[in-house]
Amino acid sequence: MATAIPSIACLGVIGRNNNPLHISIFTSYDPATNSFVPVRTALQFSLLLSSTLDVFELRARHNAAGGVGLSGDFGLLHAVDERLAAYGFETNTGTKFVVIVDMRGRRIDGNAVMAAGEKRAAAAAGAVGLREGEMKPVFKAMQNAYIKLLQNPFFDPDEHSPPSGRGGRRITSRKFEGDMRRIGESWTPGVTNL
Amino acid sequence: MDEYPAGSLDHSIPFLLTLGVAAGASDASGATYDSALSPLLLKEQAILIRSEAPALDNDQAHALLRYIQEHDASDLPCNSRETSRRYRFRVRTAERSILLPPRRARLPDGLEIPPTPNPPVLHSPYSPLSPISPLYPDGLIDTQWTHKHQEQVPSVLLCFYTLVSDPALATLCDNQIKTDVNNIRGLLGQSGYKTRIAVVLVTDHVSYHSVEGVQERLENIRKGCAIDSKTFFLVPSHESQEELERMAENMLVLLQGVAIEYYRDLGRHSRKKRGRGVVPQPTIPPTSGTSQTLSLAGWNVRYDFKSAIFAEYRLEMDNALRSFEQAYENLLSSELMEVIPSWSPRWNEARFLADVIAVRCLRCLLWNGQHSMAARRWQFHRERMADLIDRRGRGTNNYGWEAWEARWATVMANLIEKAEIPEFAPSSSRLYLLPEKAVMGERLQPWELLHHTGYWYRMAAKHLSARRAFARAMPKDDRRSPSFSPASQVASKAFTYDTYMCPEPHEEYPLDHSGVDHSQLIVECLIRARKEFLKRQQVRCAAELSLECARELVSIKDWPSIVELLRPIWRDMPFRTEGWLGIAEELSWILRTAAAMTAEADLVVAIDWELLNKEFTRRTNWPYDITRSLDGITPKSRPNIHISDARILSFVSASFLFRDEEGKAGQTAQAQLTIKSNTHQGSAPILLKNVQVALSGSVSGVVLQHKADGVGPEQKQGKALLTSVALAPAAAEGEDADDSTSESAELSEKSTTLKSDAYLVLLPGQTLVFAMEIPLREPGETSAASLTMTLETEAFDLQHALKFDQGNTASNVWYMTASKTKRISRANPLSVRVLPRPPKMEIINPTWKAQYYTNEHIELDFEILNQEDVDAPAKLDVILFSEEADPPPFSLELSGRRIEETTTPSTSLGGTTTEELGLLDISLGSIESSRSLAVRLRLPPVNLSSEYTLTLRVIYHLSTNPGTPISQTKILPLTIVNPFEANYDLLPRVHPGPWPSLFDSEGLQAADPPSQVLIPKGLSQTWQLVTRYASFASEPLRILDVDILVQKTSPSVRVLSTKLNPPPVVTDDGGGDNRRIIRPQAMEEASFEIVAQKNTLDDRNPSTLDVSLVIKWARLISSPDDDKIQENAGIGNVTTLPVPRFNIFGTEPRVLASVSHHLTTSSGHNQLLLALTITIENASNHFLTFGLSMEPSEEFAFSGPKQTTLNLLPVSKRSVDYRLLPLLVTTIGSSDGGGTWIRPTLIVRDKYFQKVLRVIPTGEGMKVDKEHPGGVLIWVPFATPASPSE
Repeated sequence: MATAIPSIACLGVIGRNNNPLHISIFTSYDPATNSFVPVRTALQFSLLLSSTLDVFELRARHNAAGGVGLSGDFGLLHAVDERLAAYGFETNTGTKFVVIVDMRGRRIDGNAVMAAGEKRAAAAAGAVGLREGEMKPVFKAMQNAYIKLLQNPFFDPDEHSPPSGRGGRRITSRKFEGDMRRIGESWTPGVTNL
Repeated sequence: MDEYPAGSLDHSIPFLLTLGVAAGASDASGATYDSALSPLLLKEQAILIRSEAPALDNDQAHALLRYIQEHDASDLPCNSRETSRRYRFRVRTAERSILLPPRRARLPDGLEIPPTPNPPVLHSPYSPLSPISPLYPDGLIDTQWTHKHQEQVPSVLLCFYTLVSDPALATLCDNQIKTDVNNIRGLLGQSGYKTRIAVVLVTDHVSYHSVEGVQERLENIRKGCAIDSKTFFLVPSHESQEELERMAENMLVLLQGVAIEYYRDLGRHSRKKRGRGVVPQPTIPPTSGTSQTLSLAGWNVRYDFKSAIFAEYRLEMDNALRSFEQAYENLLSSELMEVIPSWSPRWNEARFLADVIAVRCLRCLLWNGQHSMAARRWQFHRERMADLIDRRGRGTNNYGWEAWEARWATVMANLIEKAEIPEFAPSSSRLYLLPEKAVMGERLQPWELLHHTGYWYRMAAKHLSARRAFARAMPKDDRRSPSFSPASQVASKAFTYDTYMCPEPHEEYPLDHSGVDHSQLIVECLIRARKEFLKRQQVRCAAELSLECARELVSIKDWPSIVELLRPIWRDMPFRTEGWLGIAEELSWILRTAAAMTAEADLVVAIDWELLNKEFTRRTNWPYDITRSLDGITPKSRPNIHISDARILSFVSASFLFRDEEGKAGQTAQAQLTIKSNTHQGSAPILLKNVQVALSGSVSGVVLQHKADGVGPEQKQGKALLTSVALAPAAAEGEDADDSTSESAELSEKSTTLKSDAYLVLLPGQTLVFAMEIPLREPGETSAASLTMTLETEAFDLQHALKFDQGNTASNVWYMTASKTKRISRANPLSVRVLPRPPKMEIINPTWKAQYYTNEHIELDFEILNQEDVDAPAKLDVILFSEEADPPPFSLELSGRRIEETTTPSTSLGGTTTEELGLLDISLGSIESSRSLAVRLRLPPVNLSSEYTLTLRVIYHLSTNPGTPISQTKILPLTIVNPFEANYDLLPRVHPGPWPSLFDSEGLQAADPPSQVLIPKGLSQTWQLVTRYASFASEPLRILDVDILVQKTSPSVRVLSTKLNPPPVVTDDGGGDNRRIIRPQAMEEASFEIVAQKNTLDDRNPSTLDVSLVIKWARLISSPDDDKIQENAGIGNVTTLPVPRFNIFGTEPRVLASVSHHLTTSSGHNQLLLALTITIENASNHFLTFGLSMEPSEEFAFSGPKQTTLNLLPVSKRSVDYRLLPLLVTTIGSSDGGGTWIRPTLIVRDKYFQKVLRVIPTGEGMKVDKEHPGGVLIWVPFATPASPSE
């Protein structure tokens, strides 16, 4: 029997001003048409990413009240429904990485669509849930990509998250986009290094 | 949960029925007993239980009842934390009688009993065994059964009776009670129900303590009724409320135990039946249908379900859960659901039962705090059902399944609400619960962390949308009412659509009339979800839901609701400022549509205004013309829309920059207003009516008014249009132009608005730059605050206020020309610091010289020039200050007339030496505009070189503004130096005259006629004073005269001086006068012959000579005008330099050598002959003898005594002459300009003292031989002197 396993549906990088810096959308397996399509439209993903900001703010307030966890891995932000769940990470400069996981984004049933990594993951996982911390490699990879981007002398972070606190431009780096795409496509549960 | 039949999902709570209290006051709670038996059952022998005793109707009983009713547990949250409550009851009240459902169903009418040996066994009417039951013959269990236990058959029957205190009636009444209770018990016993009976005795008005033998009576009644003491209560009258409540509380706690016992019995019974493991036979075997009866598995499900329910009554949730799970598994096993055909009504009944069991399982899990397990169980059931329906039923691709999904999500939300999980309190700001310990380490689905109800409602809404989509996708044939469609189609329809708990296709989405209002359902769910999200401050989520909600409302065209819903979000949504433009755009368009429909003109315009921004995606075939925004909308009144920058994402960005950081009051500051449009390409140009810049400071604002043409010079380059505008103060209303003073006074007080015309049409992407000059009036800081653009169209007015952004350095671009820009990089280019108004009164010193000298009359000319626009009354302070010396007094002339003079240095300032001298507060009168006033300071000649600081301060005010004194200060260093310095040599000369003889009679008759002028008769000496003076001035000076002044130091000496050699000076102006120019650092020499003679011969003491050098000089006038020089020459300055004191008339003898040159002609050529005269003066009183010896030399030949002795009398002098013929001259021959020194070795020796006397050279052509002390050198010129002396 085919088992659905999680895959990344969307990667979002959100700036210090809560402004979208980058959004990558990935396809998920659709059993109805037996094809790979994004589970939501771009607008819906925007809304999903934006709504995670509520959670970031809530957590920040909560953390401030409790005096714990200044930043870092926020773990599961919330599950939007039984299929999509948002995981978050915040750098200490206020840049947020959001991973929206489609819990049924891939199917393992011995078909050609399955990659070797997925097989291994499926063998290891057995179940289709996610463990705490399985998103860590994703965030690490995203952060690495972001750091690489920051190291580019032509990238001006202030332009993308101006200190005035309003808006900012999106990231247009092709390399960064490529990195995001690679991360989103190559992650499966159990992957420890991206 | 509401969609499920009433009671099917309710939490099971022990049922307590009170009997015997009149409804009266307590009916407010409304929980009266209503068995609500179906007519079918009523026709059966419903069991009537009736109390014969009169109903209680006193306060005590009512209060008690009310207390019991108030503690009804039906609405308590379903969780285990309510530990304070030691009982839970569902309370119903009945006055006199209750009607219980029959225990045994009777046989259906007209049924022929087949001839069997045994009479048919009758079963409960709720059992599938009874033919009258809807479950007959193979149903499982239905709501009726749960309803029976929940609402009809009480666990405890609480009977109220009065304990009569009247002794006469006591026995009678007691017996009545006993009879009644026994009667009830009997009836219950007959019915077969095991309902427990409890009795409450309420005493009437007298306290029971006063009644004798109450205890015996009570005991008697209890025993007579055969009631356990645990369920027998006495409520005395006249107890306080608290006492009553305490009693009631105790009573209920006791009854709880009884009730649990009751349900335990029932549960045990069910388990016993299950344990038998046989399928009971129905009353009569089924004859219709498949004649199938309920299988053993079915019976097991039934028994398990019953046990679970009874466990639930007992609050044994673990047991209940276990039994439910068992029932569930059995139900969905291959023996039950798998074999029920999907067309059978039993299929849906089974599904329903599965739902009920699942819900009850979920409740048990939530009760136990197993939240993640609950979420998992929820999902499990859904997947199980989906799988089942896909395989056995009508599939999950129809509206019926989605309807169920929506319902299933709603049920979960309701359960969570009912469980009242404290972690979900909005204050805790938890969105989901952490997994319980049991599942902590597992791989959990994120959804298995139980999320708050908002998420569940939202999920329900999603499924409702899907349901609608499926419904909409139905073919028309299916939507037709079955009465109008062919039978075949009806049949096919039956197998296509899942109508489990939802309407048939022709009602779901009928062709001819509206069916299910999907949108309404969706909106309801969304609103509920939104409420939950808002509670937890998930504003973005809530906004997202509102957006979804609005989309639904669009489909039902409920425009006002959309406006109501979206307007607040549109106003302050975070998406705009945070740059989620896609979302903002979506929302704006929806709201715009709705606003247009509801004629909310201001909203329409505001949204249109915002959507002009290029950042939003351009909608094709949208006009993007703000003026046509209200086409087709007729607002109630002409809209006047105010938009602030923070509210919308403005397509206009503006900046107002000052070029310089500082400016001065009274001057103007360069400023630029830049307005950049960022509209969509191809959108209509925007014509602004005016633009107002609000400034802080003296200028309150700048208004630019649109004018189509004829405005200032323009430069255009690409998208930038640079215009310079000339600002003029706006004419205030009612102003009188000729009243200039009041106007100007007003100007200085209140801030003004400046106006100009400008071309204010914004093309897409264009940048309008207006260069202007802002007059600065008051010191302080002037900064630009905001910009307001006004747009006026035929349909509406719009005002858009923009705040200038301080931090946005990218916009700090200064347009030097339209094409050339520079970035202004200073911190705050939006403001200019206005420094105080600079004084415009100038103090000019046109004739200020580089240096002033001692001994000169110093005149300092100043001009005070009024450059203000108006007259200025002024006062002048002049202060001369010195650190070293007392400043000289000075006087002041004003326009040629002497005004003021300083007094002599006073000791005004504390008695110490004043270093400051000044003239204060000299009124200068009013100086007219652009006129000047001449002021001259006169300083007397200063003798010593010194340094002063001259401070001139003009304090004035403008005649228009007398209140503000303005001061202008000029500080000048005044250095007075000595122009000359000199050194002096006093050289002895031979006095030609004879000395008076001691033996001369004339010399003896001294001061004979006292009246006559004293003729000195003493010794006389001649000296030559050589002075060399140097100019220390910084400029050439004209020397008018040099002289010496002999001080009359000693009265006994007469001194005469003669200027020896005023050399023939060639002056600049060629005149023959002796005025000379001395250049800076140059040195001049002047010699004087001084002849001193003692008055009397007797006076032979040494005497001193005090002279001073007097230089008369004048400054050169730089003007070439000769007359002026002449004129100026008259007022020469006199610098007197004291010469150090010389000693003359020493008593020691002197040997003076003098030489004269003679030219003789011998043997054909000129021969120079030198006559050397040695004069020895003996000024002493002694007779002295000197030996003279002249040694021969190769340099010259001489004649005269080679060796001789001279005797000198006291006070006498004698001379010895030598003739020298220089030999060198003849050998070398003559040549011009040359010469040589010869050294005659002449030794003068004092014979007595044996001391060689020094020979002192006198006059020209001699000098002291430095190599041989005492010797002299004589100059022998080669050339023949032009003018021989002989």
